[in-house]
Amino acid sequence: MKRNYLGEFEELVLLTVTILHPGAYGAAISDEMQEQTGRSVSISAVHAALQRLEEKGMLSSAFGEATQERGGRRKRLFAVTTLGSQTLQSVRDMRSKLWESIISKDLLVRGI
Amino acid sequence: MSYNNPPKFADWLLSLFCHPEQVEEVQGDLQERFQKCAARSGVRRAKFRYTLEVLGFARFIFKQRRRASQYQTQIFSFGMLTTYLRISWRNLLKAKGYAFINITGLMVAMTASTLICLWIQSELQFDRSYSKVDRIFQVYNRDIFNDEKSVWSTTPSPLAHELNASYPDIEMATRYVPLTLLLSVGDLNSNVKGALADPDFVRIFDVNLLSGSENRLLADAGRIIISRRLATNLFGTENAVGKTMQIDHKDHFLVSAVMDNLPESSQFQDIDYLIPCEYMIKPGSASADWTSNNLSTFVLLRQGAQQAAVNQKIRKVTAHHLKGTLDNVANREIFLHSAHKWHLYSKIEKGEVVGGGIVAVRLFALVAIFILVTACVNFVNLSTARGEMSAREVGVRKVAGAAKGSLVLRFISEAILLALIAGLLAAVVIWAVTPAFNDLVGRHLQPDFTSPRFWASGLAFVLLTGLLAGSYPAFVLSSFQPAKVLKGPYRFGTAATPARKCLVVLQFAFAIVLIISTLVIRNQIDHAERRESGFNKEHLFYAALPGNLEKHYPLLRDQLITSGAVVSATRSLGPTVSLNTRQWGVQFPGSVETDKNVEFDLFGADREFIATTGVTLLEGREIDISKYPTDSTAIVLNETAAKAMRLKTPVGASVRFQKTDWHVVGVVKDFIYESPYSPVKPAIITGPAGMLAHQWVNLRLNPAEKLEKNLMMLEAIFKKIDPGYPFSYSFADDTYEARFAREKQIGILTTTFTGLAIFISSMGIFGLAAFAAQQRIKEIGVRKVLGASVPSIVGLLTADFVKLAIIAFAIAAPVGWYIMDQWLTDFEYRVQIGPGVFLFASCSTLLIVTSTVVWHSVRAALMDPVRSLASE
Repeated sequence: MKRNYLGEFEELVLLTVTILHPGAYGAAISDEMQEQTGRSVSISAVHAALQRLEEKGMLSSAFGEATQERGGRRKRLFAVTTLGSQTLQSVRDMRSKLWESIISKDLLVRGI
Repeated sequence: MSYNNPPKFADWLLSLFCHPEQVEEVQGDLQERFQKCAARSGVRRAKFRYTLEVLGFARFIFKQRRRASQYQTQIFSFGMLTTYLRISWRNLLKAKGYAFINITGLMVAMTASTLICLWIQSELQFDRSYSKVDRIFQVYNRDIFNDEKSVWSTTPSPLAHELNASYPDIEMATRYVPLTLLLSVGDLNSNVKGALADPDFVRIFDVNLLSGSENRLLADAGRIIISRRLATNLFGTENAVGKTMQIDHKDHFLVSAVMDNLPESSQFQDIDYLIPCEYMIKPGSASADWTSNNLSTFVLLRQGAQQAAVNQKIRKVTAHHLKGTLDNVANREIFLHSAHKWHLYSKIEKGEVVGGGIVAVRLFALVAIFILVTACVNFVNLSTARGEMSAREVGVRKVAGAAKGSLVLRFISEAILLALIAGLLAAVVIWAVTPAFNDLVGRHLQPDFTSPRFWASGLAFVLLTGLLAGSYPAFVLSSFQPAKVLKGPYRFGTAATPARKCLVVLQFAFAIVLIISTLVIRNQIDHAERRESGFNKEHLFYAALPGNLEKHYPLLRDQLITSGAVVSATRSLGPTVSLNTRQWGVQFPGSVETDKNVEFDLFGADREFIATTGVTLLEGREIDISKYPTDSTAIVLNETAAKAMRLKTPVGASVRFQKTDWHVVGVVKDFIYESPYSPVKPAIITGPAGMLAHQWVNLRLNPAEKLEKNLMMLEAIFKKIDPGYPFSYSFADDTYEARFAREKQIGILTTTFTGLAIFISSMGIFGLAAFAAQQRIKEIGVRKVLGASVPSIVGLLTADFVKLAIIAFAIAAPVGWYIMDQWLTDFEYRVQIGPGVFLFASCSTLLIVTSTVVWHSVRAALMDPVRSLASE
């Protein structure tokens, strides 16, 4: 099975969408990411990543409510699809597997 | 929270960067951030940041893929299309009257324009179907005589050889002279059209040889190539190679090859044999030198040679050879005329090769387009006028979520369905009327119903018509607002909105232009037919005198007169009703140098010229060699010739040409022997002493006897004197009548298309009037209750359309006048476009419009108001 590739930034966005659910939309995701990671995140990069992830089928979207501060425009609310959460899970599994091997090697080196 | 607006420029940029569907969410996000930033760090900073962030979205320019979501509206789907078609079909059945008007109009228009297209296609392909057509040219001559430019298509005989031999750009060259000769095989004699040609003719024009050897074709004297058709006629078999035949009862020819019949779509279509040029143009004779321009020269350029460059090189070839022979060769030039232009661009006007047939092609193309437009206008008018019927459907569909695009498709598919039905009917009609149309245009058009190309282009035509008719209504109907149309009875006002009025005016303007054209063409033909021909066309018979008939003319004449079938006879150069030959360099008392260029047309007579032809004698007497022995050098002038010679007393004057001194014995009134639309030229009737033998006879048949009986007696006498020639003859009235054939053909075509245009437009306003009457039914009811009379209501309903007809007339009259004025400039003897034409055109239009509309008006006006006002 071809594994779905997930870039680092995409992974962050995907995770943030999971955190913010059900209120995940462009501006909120961007703010949350900035807060969590401390790095400056450009809104257009977020939108690009969202669109890409949706095309990959890891996100689904629907229009949400309009607010006054948005000039009466609707939000597009994103939700992680099954494929998306599976992918996140597999990335995490792979990482922890890698970490585990590092840890066991570390222990071996220490002579335990 | 105070509300600030982000910079408009940035928003505009964003709309460029993002897909329209994405703009909303992105702009929303950006604006949310903008408001936050404005509250935190001030509006200016926020605006700056906003712009920066918008610029970040520049990456989306190349990423305008559509987001797959459940909101995507499907404009086209096969399922919907079948539904649309089913509903269109139901609509057709529901309003049969309108469907009938639309389909009939479209069917008639499609038939007419298809036939015109077929004709145009055959015109465009005529004389262009040779494989090397791009490189084939005819050589034309150009010179200036008396300050007047002149162009002619005949060239000297040695030119072809010289061009071929001395100019490497010219790959092949051939001379060509069409002629009719008597061919005989055994007892079978027949006059057949053929041509003198050089060997290259076969190669230039892809003559397909069925049998016979390829080499030395047309190179040897006494060899002939005959067509398959002729082979079958003369020998009863296509394998005629090696057989012999006789030409003119003296020269034996051996059939060296049989060629396929020359293609119908070429100027050589009726050429049945080719013989070497040397048969007629004997080397060393006058007709074979550079001074006489008596044949056509066709050349084939080498691949890659440019016409302009070759023109430049060969320009002075004839002038060079004529130096010393002609007084002035400074302006004598030859040039190439492309085969592409032979058929449609060969009219010579004021010394230039100008358009010609292409004008008629363009005019009829316009007629075809306008007829189609007229029928489409019917569809547009009726379907928009009946918008009320579709309004509710549109409303419901929109509420249910249909996009405008899919509604447009819905109405266009209805138009295409109609066009398709009309197209299928038209195919049947075309099949049925093609033979009649062929008779009319004198062509052999045959739409190929079995070829996929025919049906493909037919389908394309149907789609085009459907789009033409359906686009405007589709956009009008699909833009109804559901809130308005669903609220209650939706009123569209009158049946005639400005747009619809314009279209009706357009239709009628076109019909009126055609009416004016028809009238003017008819008037012009009548005018020319009424013109005094100057001779008696009835019972005037003429025939050539070949063989023994010429030798034993006195015997022939005696027998003819004593038989009682012939009243009088005159021997002549040719028929009196057509041009025989021309003469330059005529010297007469008081003539000056420039008079040498004046052309005189020559006729001949021995005696009884006046009695035979019915020409009127004005002065002096006629030529009569039986009474006056010196009359063999006598001449009679026509009025114009007497004027051209500036002679006060022509009779008795001495005139010199053909190295002979002639004496004028009489003057006759002008008679028409060329086009009945041109002025009469100076003509001289000579006695028998001229250079050219009098090899024709003009006879006045006995009008008291039956024509058949006269002809039988004539044939018997002709056959008795020389049985070797078929009895062939013509009548003056037939020849004269044939000169009107082209104009009559155009007249009939114009009349036909005028009739069709009127028919289609009338159907359109008939439908509109029906609708108008139906729509105003309550108004009429109220009016009647209040005491309006029936005539006043009829007038009210009719006036709308009459007004339109009047406007159409105001537009069409100058257009029609202009077009016909242009057409008439082709004729020197022409009718004036008088007010009568316009009066008749306007009256007939008004009559047609009124009579079309009045039926509905009267029906509406007579309706009982109780019925129309009862409901509601």
